[in-house]
Amino acid sequence: MEEDEILSELRRQLKEGIIDVKVPRKRRIFVWIRSEAFKNAIRRLKDMGFTHISTITAVDLKESFEVIYHFAYKGSIELSLRFNIPKENPRIPTITDVIPGAILYEREVHDLFGIDFIGHPDLIPLILPENWPRDIYPLRKEYSLEDLRGSILKAGRDERRVTAQ
Amino acid sequence: MAERICGICSDAHTTCYTQAIEDLLGIEAPPRAKYIRVIIAELERIHSHSLWLGIAAHEIGFDTLFMYLWRDRETVMDMLEFISGNRVHYAMNTIGGVRRDIPSEMTPKIKDGLDFLEKRIKYYIKTISSDRTIQKRTVDVGILKPKDAIELCAVGPTLRASGVKNDVRRDDPYAAYDEIPFNVVTHDGCDVFARIIVRCEEMLESINMIRYALDHMPAGMLRVRVPMAVEPNEAVSRVEAPRGELIHYARSNGTARPERYKVRSPTLANIPALCKMLMGQHVADIPIVLAGIDPCFACMDRLALIDVNTGRKKILDFNSLRENIRRMRGNCP
Repeated sequence: MEEDEILSELRRQLKEGIIDVKVPRKRRIFVWIRSEAFKNAIRRLKDMGFTHISTITAVDLKESFEVIYHFAYKGSIELSLRFNIPKENPRIPTITDVIPGAILYEREVHDLFGIDFIGHPDLIPLILPENWPRDIYPLRKEYSLEDLRGSILKAGRDERRVTAQ
Repeated sequence: MAERICGICSDAHTTCYTQAIEDLLGIEAPPRAKYIRVIIAELERIHSHSLWLGIAAHEIGFDTLFMYLWRDRETVMDMLEFISGNRVHYAMNTIGGVRRDIPSEMTPKIKDGLDFLEKRIKYYIKTISSDRTIQKRTVDVGILKPKDAIELCAVGPTLRASGVKNDVRRDDPYAAYDEIPFNVVTHDGCDVFARIIVRCEEMLESINMIRYALDHMPAGMLRVRVPMAVEPNEAVSRVEAPRGELIHYARSNGTARPERYKVRSPTLANIPALCKMLMGQHVADIPIVLAGIDPCFACMDRLALIDVNTGRKKILDFNSLRENIRRMRGNCP
């Protein structure tokens, strides 16, 4: 399938779930969808041949988060599926039941942005140390470098104390 | 900074980064620069794969092979130093092109190096395919079936050694890869041995690609002028690093600072597949299976224990494993 065929198929499947699309260049597609249509969109994409997820990116837009799922079609066309979720209640259903390869990417986003993936088998820290404070998410824009530096120092001190014991 | 993400595939990261920013700015590197990018990327692949092959030999206790390989790897390191002035961080890429030329006077010396490497790699393929020790340690070890490899989103040689023909250079061509002929090497073995052979044959492909690029390099500029202001925009850039698909996502907001920059390196993508490969393996095979994905480490803190008598599986995290060991030590004073 070419870019335009993929888009028309996706439009047929998701109908008003799609807000906007953009094809900035060959083999690159951006699709904005409504958050309610998200899980359905993932299933449809997998049926269409988007079996490979490259990664998941989250962006802090101050009032909300934008979550971008980068999929590859037969290793070639990179489709970025994206939607916004409110910052007060950042919860998304997991996609690991549909695409098992997403397991670490969801953990990474959970670590850095505090977004909960409902139904993920085990959202333990992937990148952050185990004694990192629960309520500090390094890539949220409200945390300054000083906040993070303080947490890193504290986590280091705790670690040394545990090791000494 | 992009160059410092990795000390082995530093060029893959700068290529990916410069491509992302060029996409943001709406510019394109000139043809000669694209060819130079391919040459450096393929030299880097040879150096990375031979480094890996040495490590794999070491993991199965074959240190003689390890030392021979690393001696030969010096040839490609010298070639990189000859071209760029550096062994590891080549600093060849810049936004809009490359920083240094590869003039035609350099070609004979590079080709001599390639001839030597080709001879050696062919010899190693012969040795590896006929040596019984290597076969015993790698054939049917760390199995990853094609279905699992696709499902767990494995990338690079790990995926290709499970028989899946997938390569960013062919599927989503960047730099000059759409103009240079090459084969995507795959193997149906699905085990560590297949991963060794795929990487060896990829090195031979790389040698041919460099030769072709040297012979067909177009004349012209090395870089284009870059606009000073970056408009709000976004770009997804992909590169086939030695370990597999590398992806960078960049978003600009009209200021001099990025709104978001995200990097996903290939090792992370192969960890779920690695967990699958390790299930039910012998403890003694863990090092070579682990080395089989050519890991460039982040963190792995889980372990699946299978009781062979009952077939019961149990997953332990690092802390419970530590507790278990403490308890065992307590029991035997």
